Amino acid sequence: MRNGTAEKLRRDLTLLVVLSTVYATGSWFVSNSYYQLILTLVPIWAAFGVSWNILSGYGGQLSFGHASFFGIGGYTMTLALVYWNLTPWLGIPLGMVVGGVAAVVIGMPTFRLRGHYFALSMLAYPLAILYFLQYFGFQEMSLPMHRENPGAYLEFSDPRYYTLVAVGLLAVAVLTCICVENSRFGLALLAVRQNELAAEAAGIDSKTWKMRALVVSGMLAAAAGGLYACVQLVVTPDSVFGMLVSAQPVVLTLFGGVASLWGPVIGAAFLVPLSKGLDATVGSYLPGIQGVVYGAAVIAIILLAPDGLYWTLRDKFNKRPTPKPIPQASKPDRVGGSRATAGKPLMRVENLSKNFGGLRAVSDVSFEIAEGEILGIIGPNGAGKTTLFNLLNGVLPPSSGSASLDGVSLLGKKVHQVCHMGIGRTFQVVRSFPRLPLIDNVMVGAYGAGVTDQEAADAAIHALHRTGLADLAGVEAGSLTNKQLRLMELARALAGRPRLLLLDETLAGLGREECDDILDVLKRLRDEGMTIGIIEHTMHAMLRIADRFVVLDHGAVLASGPPREVVENRSVIEAYLGKKFLAAQNNA
Amino acid sequence: MTPINRRTALAGATVLAGTRFARAQAKPDVKLAMLVPLSGPWARSGLLEQMGARMAIEDINNNGGIKALGGAKLKLLEFDAGESAEKAKDAAQRMVAQEPDLSGGFGCWLSTFTLAATEVTERAELPWMTLSYSDLITNRGFKYVFQASPTADAQAKDLVPIIMDMAEKAGAKRPSKVALVGDNSASSVSFYKAIREIVIPEQKLISVADEIFTPPLADATTIVQKLRTGKPDFVLLQSTNAGDDKILVDKFAEFGLTSQKMAMVGGGGHWCQPELTKLTTKEHLEGVIVGLANWPGKAMADITRRFIERTKEPWFGHDSLFGYTHVMTYAAALEHAGSADKNKVMQALHTMDIKDGPARFFPDGRIKFDEKGRRVGAKLCVVQWRNGEPVPVFPDAVATHQAVWPRAS
Repeated sequence: MRNGTAEKLRRDLTLLVVLSTVYATGSWFVSNSYYQLILTLVPIWAAFGVSWNILSGYGGQLSFGHASFFGIGGYTMTLALVYWNLTPWLGIPLGMVVGGVAAVVIGMPTFRLRGHYFALSMLAYPLAILYFLQYFGFQEMSLPMHRENPGAYLEFSDPRYYTLVAVGLLAVAVLTCICVENSRFGLALLAVRQNELAAEAAGIDSKTWKMRALVVSGMLAAAAGGLYACVQLVVTPDSVFGMLVSAQPVVLTLFGGVASLWGPVIGAAFLVPLSKGLDATVGSYLPGIQGVVYGAAVIAIILLAPDGLYWTLRDKFNKRPTPKPIPQASKPDRVGGSRATAGKPLMRVENLSKNFGGLRAVSDVSFEIAEGEILGIIGPNGAGKTTLFNLLNGVLPPSSGSASLDGVSLLGKKVHQVCHMGIGRTFQVVRSFPRLPLIDNVMVGAYGAGVTDQEAADAAIHALHRTGLADLAGVEAGSLTNKQLRLMELARALAGRPRLLLLDETLAGLGREECDDILDVLKRLRDEGMTIGIIEHTMHAMLRIADRFVVLDHGAVLASGPPREVVENRSVIEAYLGKKFLAAQNNA
Repeated sequence: MTPINRRTALAGATVLAGTRFARAQAKPDVKLAMLVPLSGPWARSGLLEQMGARMAIEDINNNGGIKALGGAKLKLLEFDAGESAEKAKDAAQRMVAQEPDLSGGFGCWLSTFTLAATEVTERAELPWMTLSYSDLITNRGFKYVFQASPTADAQAKDLVPIIMDMAEKAGAKRPSKVALVGDNSASSVSFYKAIREIVIPEQKLISVADEIFTPPLADATTIVQKLRTGKPDFVLLQSTNAGDDKILVDKFAEFGLTSQKMAMVGGGGHWCQPELTKLTTKEHLEGVIVGLANWPGKAMADITRRFIERTKEPWFGHDSLFGYTHVMTYAAALEHAGSADKNKVMQALHTMDIKDGPARFFPDGRIKFDEKGRRVGAKLCVVQWRNGEPVPVFPDAVATHQAVWPRAS
């Protein structure tokens, strides 16, 4: 478990125990078998929602086809029972295994896609499976009735037992989700969700984490599907692989609160009884109207509480307590080696080029960054600065040339691997995780470095001290100022204990005083031995901090050397201010 | 036990007996449940079944109710099976939970729904009658389910020989070439499985086309082309909804493939729904032969007339007839059982063997259920579209018209 989560963990676990006990006890007094059925379905759908939430809520990989796993769970259990007489007590775990394998098979091709393309491809799987099952003649499978020893086959004449099993299933799902949420798993997923590139740059192997999330999610969904089939007694492709099944966890979680532990549970607790209740009331005298009322209710809630009920209520009633101060950092550390070795080149770039079709964005760029120095990479807009960084940190493959860190080649490495080699990076546009406290935002970077929980916490605290953010550690990132966010990103990069920092326009959009504060931090970092490459086009700020300049224009190095020398270079002035300015200056 | 206790017990028993007596005096209604799709894509079929059932309830109550129960009235409780197996099952659960004193029930039209709902009714020990065709329904060892129709497999085996005899009887040569056209839904798939594996070899037929589509059908041009090339003597059309039926007959007509040239044999109640005349023209439907589980025959002229009067529907068909027959069968079982208790009703249905009363509503004229709950001797009916209306042509017990077969060209 992650540091600093003990309190939340205790709270969630207590809530889980209390809620399950109250629910199970309460349902024991319900004798009407229809109401009991609703009580059984609520935890089943909630568990399905929780499973979806792990992948799509925390991980941000929107899946419109989670019915694949739900249905696989349902059909595996049913087929095993029909053909091998395997009790659902084992059939459901078997379904979970098949669901997990299916997750890998589905994930391998589908994670190559992102965003809408991923969501739409996921939609295709349950529909494809549905036709397969029809083709093979599994249109209608009814679960054989066991008149002898029904309990051994998860068949109960007293429907209250189904509710107990369903509550147990939900407890397992919620526990799994608690483990995910409070470990580096959850933090990695949140990071990937916010910005996959930034997460990769912070050292997180996004593909692996996404796959893990899909497998966990697929297994839980399969368990929910298996139990659902047991309760329904009849399985048809449409009832477990249908579009509405895929929509169910999406609706429940959006309603209850995305990426929150209790969101899907809240969603199921409201919507499942509402929908079943409408079937039983208005539906019985005006058949079909229940769908309209249900749809209207969902639309109304989403309009009034767009983040879901959980977040809206939490924001309204539960203001976060003033964050506790964090412990003092143990010692200032000197990650970048001692100043004594300054001067030895840490990064070497030779003849690096990148073509986008006919456009040569970076052309034969060569430079070095010496240990302990701040190198300012400057140039007008469109000069190829960010592209250069993207080549160095593995976002883009170069067309030709080489780049190495301390003699080890950087090219051909993935973004997170470059990070592990000791290069931290920030982005032009700040990527924060607004719902998480500052310390967790920074911790993402520490986890990226692949250290233990305790080390990660130490590194994060240390990074906050170095950037002067220690007092704000418990504040949600969403309420920070622009400058604080810039520093937060710097801290996140520092938490991974890099040897070299690549900062992409860290000063963009800041006022003069705010700039000064950040420059002070950067100077302090250099004094501690950090090596920094910084992209900037505000010349005056760079003059105050950089040890050396590399000027890029139209993708090529225009000049390099000490700042004073470079700014007086005629071609640099021309590139920045144009020929006319130069002519006017000469005339004057 | 002390004398006082005994006295108390006696007093209690007297009170109880009194209550029972008082209840008997009030003649509580006998409750039957109907669970059919009243919303969703199959709602129309459910509504047609509902019309038949309501009329039967009125007929019984106007004739003095259930005489064996002192003239108790029948009460129909209606439930919507919705548009999915899950909804149907939920509705069944609601039904047995809310109405613990039901004597029996019927539905749910679509086999898929019936399969799901009967899992609930069987556990609740509630007798259940259905018109659904699927063999699975009565293949699960259930004791409380009664299937009034011939099963899908039986229909598949019966239909083709009947059609071939019909051709000969109408003066054409015995057909030798058949084409299969159908969708990939559950009932069609199992129907054609039996046709391909058993019927075609047995009848020494040659299958010249085998075209399966996913409903809803978008275009039937390729199907028509296969049929024009294969030149079958008759084509089996195993679609499952009126919309696809329309596209098929319209496209056939467009290419000149009318029933005058090639016999068309549809299957299922939707082929005879009144909507079909509005969707397409009576010319396109003319001569289409339809095999289904039941159709009102000559003996039901009076009921047919009253049904058309009260509902304004153009005819009394398959779905409505089953609604009517189910209620009438329950009434007979209640008379026989002399009790509204669901277990007694179940036993009465199992021991029932009648050739009068509701048995007259079936072409084979008998109601007896075997151990599985299937109606013994259930026979297929065949109707044919004539001048915008389906008329029964087989078996003789119900036939009002002679079948017409395309002249051999």
